[in-house]
Amino acid sequence: MIKRMMLLLIALTVVVSAVHAQSKPDFSGAWKLSGTTPPNYPGSAGWGVPSPSLVVKQTSTELTIQSGQYGPTPMTVVYKLDGTDTIWDAQSITQSGTSAVVKWRTKARWDGNKLILFTWNTALNQMRDVMTLSNGALTIQRGTEQPGPSTNATLTYAKGS
Amino acid sequence: MLVVLESRDLVPGAQACEGGCASQTSIHCPTTGMRANGARTRVRMLKKPLTLLATGVVALPFVVVKRSRLFKRAGYAAAFREASTFFRRVRMRRRTLSLTAWLTVIAGLIVISPNASLQQRSDSISVKGGAGDITGEYQIPDPNWPQWAHPYPKPGYIWGSQGGVFAESPNRVYLANRGELKLPDKVPPNFPGNWGFFNQMAATQPIANMVNCIVVVDGTGKLIEAWNQWDKLFDWGRGPHQVYISPYDPERHVWVVDDMRHVIYRFTHDGKQLVQTLGVLDEFGENDDLTHFRRPTMIDWLPDGTFFVADGYGNTRVVKFDKSGKALLKWGSRGTGPGQFNTPHGIAVGGSPPRVFVSDRGNRRIQVFDTDGKFLEEWPGIAPHSMLMSADEHVWAVDSLTDRIVKFDLSGHVEFSFGQFGTRPGYTWAPHQISADSDGNLYLSEVFGGRTQKYRPKPNADPTKLVWGRSLMPLGNARTN
Repeated sequence: MIKRMMLLLIALTVVVSAVHAQSKPDFSGAWKLSGTTPPNYPGSAGWGVPSPSLVVKQTSTELTIQSGQYGPTPMTVVYKLDGTDTIWDAQSITQSGTSAVVKWRTKARWDGNKLILFTWNTALNQMRDVMTLSNGALTIQRGTEQPGPSTNATLTYAKGS
Repeated sequence: MLVVLESRDLVPGAQACEGGCASQTSIHCPTTGMRANGARTRVRMLKKPLTLLATGVVALPFVVVKRSRLFKRAGYAAAFREASTFFRRVRMRRRTLSLTAWLTVIAGLIVISPNASLQQRSDSISVKGGAGDITGEYQIPDPNWPQWAHPYPKPGYIWGSQGGVFAESPNRVYLANRGELKLPDKVPPNFPGNWGFFNQMAATQPIANMVNCIVVVDGTGKLIEAWNQWDKLFDWGRGPHQVYISPYDPERHVWVVDDMRHVIYRFTHDGKQLVQTLGVLDEFGENDDLTHFRRPTMIDWLPDGTFFVADGYGNTRVVKFDKSGKALLKWGSRGTGPGQFNTPHGIAVGGSPPRVFVSDRGNRRIQVFDTDGKFLEEWPGIAPHSMLMSADEHVWAVDSLTDRIVKFDLSGHVEFSFGQFGTRPGYTWAPHQISADSDGNLYLSEVFGGRTQKYRPKPNADPTKLVWGRSLMPLGNARTN
């Protein structure tokens, strides 16, 4: 009897975990920008300005985004989905407009079906993207910070490269 | 009388004019602090300084126009000989030129003085204090001030942007540094030690080495404490924004605002413990979210421990907290109307009944509220980085537009002002926090100039024109609020 109960419990755990894992949206794919609100994105110096296209790869442990939204140069950025930090160095544009080696950091966490991505660098740029999928469209609620003004925008992407 | 125009390599203005004469400011760009052509023209005045300066100003265009052909034809040596001859002629006609020059200088001072520009912005503000009054009732600060807190910064580095200063007493002054900056490979021998000396860019722009962010010095600048154990808190941000102690806290907790990481820290008086963090590290919230800040800037308190946070760059609101740090309410949104803000950056609380004075920096005004956020009035024409409620219940505001320190009564009338942009001793480049001790010493931290200056009162200074910090509760008394 106890053995059956244990097996049942294990099976239940596996099923719940599988269902839970499946309930998370998969953002993978090539995405093309279809709209922004406000239409003229107020970011400056390239920081956070929406990339016209994104390539997203998602596994059970991490999300990879290739885009130009991190500055004037396209960049591939990795977010670990377990909430831990990813830190690396990259040549980047600083607040004074010069190029220098800048330290970067990313972090991600799930909030229900929303995936929240955090990006920082030591050139004093910050970005928070809240990603959701709905009817095949990717919506990103973006907030950015830098020494200048804060910005908020809603970005909509449709499938396609 | 002789005017000598002398071109030299980049050298510090601090060494050129210890007296801080106004004529030297004309070679600075008031907006960027850059010097023309990367070099400095030094005006050496032997007699009657203003007359000579003005004579040079009037004469120079004639020299340039008359001699341009000569420069091309005979080269620079001949041109300088001609110029010398010309100046001898100028001396012969000096009486006439002097009269013209005096009129020019007087007219120029009226037009370019910070007083005039402040008055142009608002008819409602009449700024008192003399034109060119750089340090008011204070002596010119000791230019060796950046050498305080030795052995920091380490060799090859200097203090970076100085976000804040708080004088707990004349012998205990907290400095909030936004890290250290690497010095250029070649530094002039007369380098005074502050970033603004270079006149290249604001101290906020280079990437700083985030160390020695909070240090405590005595009245002579000697290092008392270095809170290096907390430097790691400021990684990934731009360092401490400002630093305070509530005048009503008998334990004298030290509050440090970190705008870029969206938190406010409360430390024990000795810095050994971090006892409270308001907000969520690295996560910003929206305007209606009372659990997150979005780049908070400044704090002030009521006697019962209630405090108000200007929040700030991102959320454009004020948040009211009880003494335990529980958020009670918020007011304000982005905009230009009454009760709306564009970068509420400074805050001061005082008066009877108490009012909350908010520096609405982006909208170039101070707004006044009751303690529940009801809009009462606005004082236009000034965009303070920081404000201070003084012991004699006046609002001292540090204007980001003019680098002027302005004393208001609580009805918004200007009683006195002084200060001017510059990088030499006594001048300021973006004074970001203002503090004063019980001896009447004034402290200004400069975010762009990269230094904090200590201004001592002049002998026989008019006490009504000095900033007096609010006295703090004696340390160690039982908490009463």
